[in-house]
Amino acid sequence: MNGSHSHYLIRRAGQFIPTIAAILLIGFLLIQLAPGDPVLALAGDNGDAQYYADMRARFGLDEPLPVQLAKYAGNLVTGDLGTSYMQGRPVAEIIAERLPATVLLTASALLISALVGVAVGVYAATRHNRLGDHVVTATTLAVYAAPVFLLGQLAILVLALRTGWFPVQGMTDPRGDTTSLRAGIDVAHHLALPMLVLAAQEVAAVAQITRAGMVNELGSDHVRTARAKGVTERVVLTRHALRRVLPSVVTVLGERVGHLVAGAVVVEAVFGWPGIGRLLVTAMQSRDIPIVMGVFLIVAVTVVIANLLTDLLYVKLDPRVRLG
Amino acid sequence: MIARRLAVIIGAAALMLAACADGADEQAAPPADDQPVRGGILVAAIDSDPGHFNPAITTSGATHTGSELIYNGLVELDDNLEPQPELAESWDVENDGALYRFHLRDGVKWHDGQPFSSADIKFTFDELLPQHSRTKASVLATLQSIDTPNEQTVEFRFKEPYAPLLLQLNVTEAPILPRHIYQGTDPRTNPANLKPVGTGPFTLKSYTPDSQIELAANENYFKPDQPYLDGVVMRIIPERGNQMVALESGEVDWVFGVPGPDLSRLRDSGRYDFLTTGINPGGSNCIMTVSFNLDRPMFGDVRVRRAIGQALDRQQFLERVQFGQGRVAEAPISSGIPFAHAEGLQGMPTFDRAAAAQLLDEAGWRQDGDGTRVAGNVAGVPDGTALAFDFLVYPTFTSYGDLLRAQLAEVGIEVRLRQLEPPVFADTVFSNRDFDTNIISYCNGADPEIGVKRMYVSSSIGPVPFSNAAGYRNPDVDRLFDESRITVKGDARTPIYRQIQEQLVRDLPYLWIVETDSVRAFSRNCSGFSPSGHFAAAAFCRQ
Repeated sequence: MNGSHSHYLIRRAGQFIPTIAAILLIGFLLIQLAPGDPVLALAGDNGDAQYYADMRARFGLDEPLPVQLAKYAGNLVTGDLGTSYMQGRPVAEIIAERLPATVLLTASALLISALVGVAVGVYAATRHNRLGDHVVTATTLAVYAAPVFLLGQLAILVLALRTGWFPVQGMTDPRGDTTSLRAGIDVAHHLALPMLVLAAQEVAAVAQITRAGMVNELGSDHVRTARAKGVTERVVLTRHALRRVLPSVVTVLGERVGHLVAGAVVVEAVFGWPGIGRLLVTAMQSRDIPIVMGVFLIVAVTVVIANLLTDLLYVKLDPRVRLG
Repeated sequence: MIARRLAVIIGAAALMLAACADGADEQAAPPADDQPVRGGILVAAIDSDPGHFNPAITTSGATHTGSELIYNGLVELDDNLEPQPELAESWDVENDGALYRFHLRDGVKWHDGQPFSSADIKFTFDELLPQHSRTKASVLATLQSIDTPNEQTVEFRFKEPYAPLLLQLNVTEAPILPRHIYQGTDPRTNPANLKPVGTGPFTLKSYTPDSQIELAANENYFKPDQPYLDGVVMRIIPERGNQMVALESGEVDWVFGVPGPDLSRLRDSGRYDFLTTGINPGGSNCIMTVSFNLDRPMFGDVRVRRAIGQALDRQQFLERVQFGQGRVAEAPISSGIPFAHAEGLQGMPTFDRAAAAQLLDEAGWRQDGDGTRVAGNVAGVPDGTALAFDFLVYPTFTSYGDLLRAQLAEVGIEVRLRQLEPPVFADTVFSNRDFDTNIISYCNGADPEIGVKRMYVSSSIGPVPFSNAAGYRNPDVDRLFDESRITVKGDARTPIYRQIQEQLVRDLPYLWIVETDSVRAFSRNCSGFSPSGHFAAAAFCRQ
């Protein structure tokens, strides 16, 4: 890493904390301003006024908003994300339990979308304006336009219920072995459908951008020169054309990490996948503010880091770019 | 020759007999449907993650559904909501119902092997149940003390006779937790909330948050032979539609509720059995009830409220919204509480559109052509005000709102639907009282003291969810509810509740639309279920 790299990293790290703080502040105010009282949500029906007052005091909800915010910020600095109203357990512990499932889902979807998206895009570009290209373009447009929950329900209907190939709910077989290699295969089997649904739009996006870039490159002077020099078509595609398209693909992928996490919330609900997306939905419904804030924090950090990595990878792939 | 023929005949006869005998054996071989078999795992779908397994500190339906198989109450309520022995083997009621003495079952052990005793009961009521909002507001509000004269006896002393106690001691209202685990700790953060120790038919084997709860049979359960299953796995599947998919694909064996539109398809498939019940994790004997905000001048005249009741065809609500799961409400108190439900009550508004229109005319709300009615000489309402009001609904109850709006439009009333998320709904209706009308599923429970009184007494107007939404005040009704609480004999309470209901249909602070049932569906291979929290305690599945 050269000097400009480290200078850049230090500057970005300096931006990191204020960015996260701003996101958390906005999140905190939004939740507080939203209608709905966590204590009413928690205590349910038929309590008495004293009960609700006790609960409010227990969670510090009887204090003025700036005091609540200051306390939250103070705890956060010491690494304390607070305690869930509903579960009475540390938020960090609850999020740590769910995070692996979401990381598995989103990381595998990201990987699939990069590999398949690039492959499909290159294929379409090499069949430019022929049947293969038209099929790819039409399909990716349709998939890109479809809402994630619709894709999920369709996948369940066709690939799980009709064919019985895939399970429809959860991460493991309730009657299955939980300790051996078979358990790993079981998780992979359960992962396949939600991962495909989550990856579908990303595959479409990556395929579109790859196709467009490749069509452009394949018609360019340097590719024509390479072909004239007798370079094999494979090398033309990978070294000469794709190499120049990849930076924009990486940019798209990096930008879509936030989108992927948002999609995971829907996919986790449709497939009963036990990740932080479902945790967030449940916490929102019950106004479990510490959990909502904890998930906000994790998602914000992830997106900011993803953007940073994208920048670094961009430099790696395109030597003309300098950070600074 | 003859001897040989005889031998052949005898041989053939013997073979036929043997064949017949085999046939008879074959017919007898499969166990009868109601004959329990041991072993197997039941997979049940549940709506939401329990968060923890301490049902004594919360009324959350999710926590209760996830944990009630692990614990017991002093009594359990049977399918008719009658108290039956559970941790208590028997009981005496003395001092006109101000003293209840329970004799506890012998030899009961906690899942960790420690003996259960009366000290656990006292500890649970003194230290844990004050965080259970329903029990704190009812039993604990009148309880004077709990005494434990010996390890097998516990006495509840009340400030005055307290009638409904026996219906409030089941695992849902008063689950008993171990003193030796919880004493001296904060019950909200005790690690045992995630590694529960109960006395119930199942023990917790593993818990994967938002995914599944794995329960294993308690080999030392105090009820002979139970449980039959080796275990129960509860899959957390938030959407009912997804639960149907999981049921039909064979991933789960049991669901707690079937959405109306799916019911006929499941029935036609012949692969499932059903259990129809008024008991739900969120409460039992629920009535879909329209509340009028009586603070609004528009609803000040009972003729307007009655006319709205007459304009509603409640049979259509039952058929189109509930898909037949329930019945039209015939009295303010649910028919699931037979001693309190007023049979053959006169004066409930029945569907009669012409009478409704006439009554509205008389009340000063006149219609010009097909338009919305407007006020003319109505007390507290400026002339020319349209008969238009908002109607608050939970997202799950919007079809009630749609049908109500359509039916009231027929008599010139304009209804604006406002759909609100549950916490916002509770805040808007009970804290801010910012509504005209709404619909709430009021669950009456096993006794009117639990879930009926809160709707009508003036002391429960205020920021407590699902209390007196109408803002109804009637000193006679307040007095009658007080009287019924201290009247311990069930049959002596019946006329009091009848009087209350007669008054309520005269005043109509609410409209009682339909009593709702829920339909549990389960694989044909399984049976022995009950509608209570211990739904799988006596269940078994043929593999």
